[in-house]
Amino acid sequence: MMMREATPEERRIFYKEEWNKREIPDFILHSLSLREFGFDLDGTGPSHRYNQFITVEQLENFMRNRAPYSAFASVALYERPSAREGWLKSELVLDIDAKDLPIRSCSCPPGKVCERCIDDARKVAMEFAETLSGDLDLHNIHFVYSGRGFHVRVTDESVMGLEQNERGQIVEYVTGGVVPTDITMALGYSKVFRERAARTFNALNEERLLGIRGLRKTVIQRLMCEKERALKAIRDGKLDEIFSFEGMSQKTFCSLLGFLARINSGFADGKVTIDTKRILRLPSSLHSGVSMKCTLVRDIEHFKLESAVPKFVRERNDEK
Amino acid sequence: MGAGLGLFPLEYLAVLDPFSDEAKSLVKSSPPVDAMPLEIIDQAINRVKWSTREMVVPQNSKAIRDDVLSFYLMCQGVASVSYPYSREVRLISDMTRDTIRYRMYDLFKRGGEDFCVRTVQRSIKLVKLDGSDLDIKIPTEDIRKLRDQEMEKDGVDIVDDHVLPQYMPRYAVRWVDLSPLLRHRRTELTKLYLVQGWAMLTLRDLWDFYANLIGVKTEDYIQSVYERMLDSGSPPKSLVEIGKRISALLPKGPELGEKFIRVSSRRLRPEFFPPCISKALNGVGAGLRNYAITMLLTSFLTYARIAPPSTATRIGDVVDDISVVRDEIAPLIFEAAERCNPPLFRDQPQEKASIFYHMGFGMTIEPKISDSGKSKWYRPPNCTKIQMSAPQLCNPDEFCRKIKNPLTYYFRKISEHAKTGKGEKT
Repeated sequence: MMMREATPEERRIFYKEEWNKREIPDFILHSLSLREFGFDLDGTGPSHRYNQFITVEQLENFMRNRAPYSAFASVALYERPSAREGWLKSELVLDIDAKDLPIRSCSCPPGKVCERCIDDARKVAMEFAETLSGDLDLHNIHFVYSGRGFHVRVTDESVMGLEQNERGQIVEYVTGGVVPTDITMALGYSKVFRERAARTFNALNEERLLGIRGLRKTVIQRLMCEKERALKAIRDGKLDEIFSFEGMSQKTFCSLLGFLARINSGFADGKVTIDTKRILRLPSSLHSGVSMKCTLVRDIEHFKLESAVPKFVRERNDEK
Repeated sequence: MGAGLGLFPLEYLAVLDPFSDEAKSLVKSSPPVDAMPLEIIDQAINRVKWSTREMVVPQNSKAIRDDVLSFYLMCQGVASVSYPYSREVRLISDMTRDTIRYRMYDLFKRGGEDFCVRTVQRSIKLVKLDGSDLDIKIPTEDIRKLRDQEMEKDGVDIVDDHVLPQYMPRYAVRWVDLSPLLRHRRTELTKLYLVQGWAMLTLRDLWDFYANLIGVKTEDYIQSVYERMLDSGSPPKSLVEIGKRISALLPKGPELGEKFIRVSSRRLRPEFFPPCISKALNGVGAGLRNYAITMLLTSFLTYARIAPPSTATRIGDVVDDISVVRDEIAPLIFEAAERCNPPLFRDQPQEKASIFYHMGFGMTIEPKISDSGKSKWYRPPNCTKIQMSAPQLCNPDEFCRKIKNPLTYYFRKISEHAKTGKGEKT
């Protein structure tokens, strides 16, 4: 699928004919007047900030008249959103950008995305949500396809008052960005880490593993030769199995885990999570950079990219 | 003594939680600082060098009262010679944490587990795993591993029936209830054993978490005392004396030295300035210029850069090199003045001298250390005063809710940043 930039005319058509206020998710609609809205009106950046809409009709007027290049709403709720004052609480957000995934199954050039890497991002979003609901027992987890990846947005009251440090620790937990004290436990963070580490290890080739300091080439080759066995050992936390690989010592294994943890932490943009005043692309709006609709995903497991393709793009394709 | 909780009187809660209602009621009926009995003053000072047995408080009203009063005296003494989130404050907070933790351990040994748990339950909502409605199955193997981890932390390798119960995971707490500890990096989410939103805890964890919570509250309390002192002028001499004696007992670190000179290692970090200061630095319009530049920015930047104890009344008390003022602080103020509309010195050139006047150097544009004390060194106004005098400057962010003075915003931000591990060493 070609993901090219929308023209001003295409934007105008989208907001006139296709954009529908009913596609704004309830979790935003119900707190619309408490959110700050930001817009990129011409593709130069979201500089039109500090906007507040009391009713969805006001927002509708704005969108139809201005056909913005991009539209954003804050994750924070404020007493006075137009001044960004009186912070009340913020959603917990995990941003998974397909173009920034540390490992992609496609061969997209840097900065570009394709259907495959967007699907990689979808799987990561699902993993994160599972940990958020399982280990952290969070509810009201929403998925948004952003155009280049996914936002996992949590509106569970128990986390909306958290500050930067706690949010930063949630990212570490969910991404598996820290090596646990004991990687062999059946439940808890130990399990999360093993799953993430196994996923990352599975996607790595010999060349990437050569970047690990202290891990000899012969050990890497053995790991690659018996990748399935190594994977199973990591996934199950079977240390004796791991150490049965010739040349794998406690120290080298620690280096490997540290390496995997560092890669894991790159699967979500931690800066977005800790920023309690962030503005995120408004679901229902157009991502003009790729001509895709930013959209709430109700069934993440069966999400198909086609559902986010605007009409003007389909017509554009038909014409070819 | 009032009705108790099992073996221990209710009043005894005050020695485990100096911020409890029981403790506060003891403070209310305490004599003023100047009339405080000498033994309580000595206790306040000596708390910092207590070893384990000295931390234990006998179960009698006088001992409980003395303990609570000496705790508050210690905090106020430190607040009067230091500043929030300084190394001294951190040491006091850690020492308080260790004291509470040892007291919990001691109570447990004396059969007071229930009393400990009920004390903790007043601050942290927790459930006992046995007999609770929690439908969580922890694999036996994990229970053993959690126990071994805890024992290893304490260097215990022999499984003994007497010590074992404290190392077994027997309690659960909602992880979000531990957020104050996560915020202060007193624990880490990845170090908790989480299942369905519950963190499994041993009795040992419970003491740790609870003691850390009291440590965090101690830091916050010292901040509030410091802010009150900034508003009211110099702290009472008797408190300063206590503070100095406490400081003298604390282990010397790189920042601690004679006359609290720690200036050379601390540079200003504008990224941690509160919104009002950032706004003033960007320049303001006519009508607001004198307040924003001369009153607010001058006092804030000197105090933020120099971080003096509240006893210091002259820059010369804490700085021996004028370049700190001339080359680091003054240029920031002058540049902000230039950014004003119209530039402040264009129509009010005398304000340049007024800036040094507010730093305590008298009316001059060539300050010297020997001049310090010629005029008053103004303290940064508190948030209420800023809101009243220059509401346009006050555009609070969520962090502002935790402080009452822009200076504590700055110190706290630096401290929190440092705790995340990203902090530059200061």
